[in-house]
Amino acid sequence: MSNNGKQAPRTALLGFCIPAMEALDKVGRPFLAVVPPEFEAYMQEHDIAHVLWDFSRVNETSMQLSKTLQERGVEVAVPLFEETVEWAGAVNGFLRDDPRLFTRYLLFRDKAMMKRRAQMYGIRVGVFEEADNREDVSRFFKRVNKALSKLDSDVADPVHLKPLAAAGCVGHRFIRSEQDIAVLQDDEFPCLLETHLDGQEFSCEVFIHDSKIRFLNITEYVHLGHSNFVPASPSLEERRPYVRKAVEELIDAFGIQYGMIHPEFFITSDNKINFGEVAARVPGGHIFELIEKAYGFSPFVAFAMCSDPATTDEELAAYLPDERQHKDYAGCLMVYPRQKIVTRVDVPDRLIADDYYEKHALFQPVTPKVAERAGFGDHYGTVYFRGDNSARMRDLLLEYEQVDFYTSDAPAAS
Amino acid sequence: MSGSTTEGGASLGRDAGGEPSAASVVERLLSRLDAALEHLAEAKPFAKSIYQTDVFQIAEALMNAEGGLDALYSRAHRFDAAGVFEGGPWLDASKLQPPLVEGSLKARGVYPVVETLSELRVLAIARGRVEAGATTMSREDAVEFLQDVMALNLEFIFPADTEEERISGGPHRASNIRLFGLIAREIGLRSLLADVVDEIEQISAQRPINCARLTRMVDMATRIPADAVEPAVAERLQVFASAAHAPTPLSVELSDLAAYRQALKDCDAAKLDAEARMFADSINETGLVAPHHAVLVRRVCAQAPELLGVALGLGAQGRAELEAQQELVLRLCKVAILPATAQAIYGLAGVLKRAMLSRSEVAAGLQRLVSLDLQSDVRRTLLARRAHRDGVTANALLVAGALSVLGRPLGVGQGNNPTCQAARGISLWSQHAPGYLLEMLISAARDGLVEKDFEGERLKSSDIEHGLVLRLDTDLDPVSLVLVPHLDRLYSLMMKRVATRSEDGHKWVNPAFYGRWVPHGFASVFADVAQTTVAEHDDFVRRFYATHHPAYNEGHDLMYPNPVGLCITNARGDYLGPHAVSLLRVGEDPHGALRVYFFNPNNEGRQDWGHGVRPSIRGNGESEGESSLPFHQMVTRLYAFHYNPYEEGDAFAVPPETLQEVEQAARGSWGRAFSWR
Repeated sequence: MSNNGKQAPRTALLGFCIPAMEALDKVGRPFLAVVPPEFEAYMQEHDIAHVLWDFSRVNETSMQLSKTLQERGVEVAVPLFEETVEWAGAVNGFLRDDPRLFTRYLLFRDKAMMKRRAQMYGIRVGVFEEADNREDVSRFFKRVNKALSKLDSDVADPVHLKPLAAAGCVGHRFIRSEQDIAVLQDDEFPCLLETHLDGQEFSCEVFIHDSKIRFLNITEYVHLGHSNFVPASPSLEERRPYVRKAVEELIDAFGIQYGMIHPEFFITSDNKINFGEVAARVPGGHIFELIEKAYGFSPFVAFAMCSDPATTDEELAAYLPDERQHKDYAGCLMVYPRQKIVTRVDVPDRLIADDYYEKHALFQPVTPKVAERAGFGDHYGTVYFRGDNSARMRDLLLEYEQVDFYTSDAPAAS
Repeated sequence: MSGSTTEGGASLGRDAGGEPSAASVVERLLSRLDAALEHLAEAKPFAKSIYQTDVFQIAEALMNAEGGLDALYSRAHRFDAAGVFEGGPWLDASKLQPPLVEGSLKARGVYPVVETLSELRVLAIARGRVEAGATTMSREDAVEFLQDVMALNLEFIFPADTEEERISGGPHRASNIRLFGLIAREIGLRSLLADVVDEIEQISAQRPINCARLTRMVDMATRIPADAVEPAVAERLQVFASAAHAPTPLSVELSDLAAYRQALKDCDAAKLDAEARMFADSINETGLVAPHHAVLVRRVCAQAPELLGVALGLGAQGRAELEAQQELVLRLCKVAILPATAQAIYGLAGVLKRAMLSRSEVAAGLQRLVSLDLQSDVRRTLLARRAHRDGVTANALLVAGALSVLGRPLGVGQGNNPTCQAARGISLWSQHAPGYLLEMLISAARDGLVEKDFEGERLKSSDIEHGLVLRLDTDLDPVSLVLVPHLDRLYSLMMKRVATRSEDGHKWVNPAFYGRWVPHGFASVFADVAQTTVAEHDDFVRRFYATHHPAYNEGHDLMYPNPVGLCITNARGDYLGPHAVSLLRVGEDPHGALRVYFFNPNNEGRQDWGHGVRPSIRGNGESEGESSLPFHQMVTRLYAFHYNPYEEGDAFAVPPETLQEVEQAARGSWGRAFSWR
């Protein structure tokens, strides 16, 4: 640690996340974990400072969390999961006596609200609308295509449908036809509808302290929800100044002072950047792991340091590396079964022998029947790659996206 | 394999064809394993799980690569210290259980990988590659553990290339076979057959109804190469191998059943008589019945019914019953005694010995089963248990199953299920309420439900979503197969109903579940419902002596099986969990010592509960199917029993030394897992 024996303020990690706890423990940064009650035995067994909290319940006792944490000497709350973001807002707002902080954090939890905010501050967004039922979806879909001067015989432009408050790709659907609208379930409403944005998709992991960008990572999406790598390839990195400007506009629009954000953008060939959405918790897609491998620092630690107003510029400068000095390209492939019944994992020998192959976490599924997925679901396993050439990384990810890792001994049921 | 060819040069793992060679893949994996083990070793206990995945994944790749298992084994001495087993049931090597290995190796997901790593770790201990202080398991214990594991997994040591084994071997069968090849090479097969034959004899002495596992063990054992076997042991094995397949010269000669049937037609009465005697001797010696025996019984029924008593090996009592019920017996044989159900011959003999057919409710119940309309899922379940398609009907299987249970009440087993309660019930009813048992069986098979009254309410098993068992292991006798799902649900629901009462729920549930044969007095060592604190242990022991020990209970013999709870311990005396058995009788053994004879539904062969407590199953006055322990040893593992308060003797007279001795033994074994007050 670089704080020269100064006792760092106690950080509260919101959510049960072993890698986060390990990262802070490794650098000797004292922390306290706020975890759901089912993890009590684990925390006790390993003697980790903790507070039990049910994040899914909001009621008049919710203030109690802030008070408890204050009594325990906590100064900063760091949200690890989507469901803990507003809790972090409430706790940090209470600890800093800044009630507005809570409402700002709430923006991260409502995809329509965050888009509206961005739009009000002049950020480019697609056309969007909130929908409460299938009729709303149908009307939006028709109007968008009408606005594009489509004929009935043309292929309709798709629109996107996302739950208002879910992490990443969960529940994300494409609407391409009336048929897609008819199968929507009542529990998918209310939701956000938005037009399809052209351009290359990428995400940023932005570590912000005192409203200034301290580290900006760009994650290149090969296919959203399936494959990505860090840092982005040179063709995208070249446009870093445009990306940085877009991120600064976002920081300004959302009034973000401390912490980390994970926005998703689309960039066109003429460097126009469209804003997709933004989250204020640990990103999915194993991105933190990839950043650590590519740059050699722990994003968890950086997240905690940046969340803390007391962290000094020197400490940040000492911990965070130069954005342009990556060690390697680190990528991962998220694997989903393609068949309905899977009984085996087949990893090709040529993959294991590949210089860029690092490791995989694919195990034979415990039940052969593959769960039905609505939108994007959790992936079954991950393959990690690492190497020094982004083009080869991209090629490998594309190549192995085509491989059926989960296969079946039995003839596939149709 | 060509391990040496890639050594020396800095091979990048591709030979001329562009495909990586096996040796270089193993090399790569091994260096990754080393790195992963290092990361794991450096991680704090709370964070080990992050790094375990990498180790498991690399290990799985090594398990499946040519030469990979040896490579994995070369690092096995580091597994424990690195924390490979941290946070899971494999953590403490000294607590590993040989019977659990097979299930994990055959499972899906990550379990077979961890299990394999655990076996390799134990092997490293057994071979002295782990420093004494670095593990909780001694070298001797490790060797013994692996010997037991080998004896229980012969199918991987001597694999047969049958479709059945390929399927039952689980998804990792090939690597399991390699694993056992390695263990056999390192530990040796010398003592293996003796161990296996011991186990076979122990299991057979209990005369289980479901002999599938026993027969499988016998078949496996016969695969052990002759040069690895002592002649005396081979001879003992041969008795069982013959009994299971061909106990007579004629059946040896004609293994084809149709040919054998034809040959029997040409036998004269004397030859048939001799054949029948040989079969009868073979079952009485082993409890195993060969399929040929069914052909013989059918022949005898048709051609020479007077020989049936000989073919069934009946004594005077059985013959008298046979004479009285001959017509019914012939009818039952015709329906239910087939090569596929040959084991029921032994059950039928028991039914006749017990004169069960003279009870009108039993005769009527069995006949009803013959033509009962079965629920379609019951039919499917019954037929699915057959080894091959042989034209037998589900009704025939059910009748045969009922004969087996009624003839051998102590042969009922729970299989691989946590349903000792249901097995105990089936055993009790087949002894004391056979009509009631058949009634439940008929209701379950035809109507898909079993009803029981509980505290003024009628409970229907069909209304209860699930019991203790989520997925029943179907390696069970037909009666259990049909009844256990219902009994399990009823039992769990009753236990739920009483969960909030201040005492152990068995007090109310047992009399309701088993019926009026269970007395309402109840004693337990536990002071709380959660069963964490033992209190007034001395009172508990006094009461047991006063109700069960002939010196203090005024000579009240047990009338009906008494469902009691035991705290089961392993060979080191560590607490494993609660288990249900039934006390059957208390009496002096041939050596003059007082013993408790009981029914243990788990049909286990070798039992060692630690600290010298080893239930015996023969040689101490046990009948077939009974287990026994010296009286005071039984009390040291007992935690709950029923008694009749009007038959309580002189509790005060039990000497304090006895109480102290029992309490010490209890505290020193299972008692270590509880707090005492």
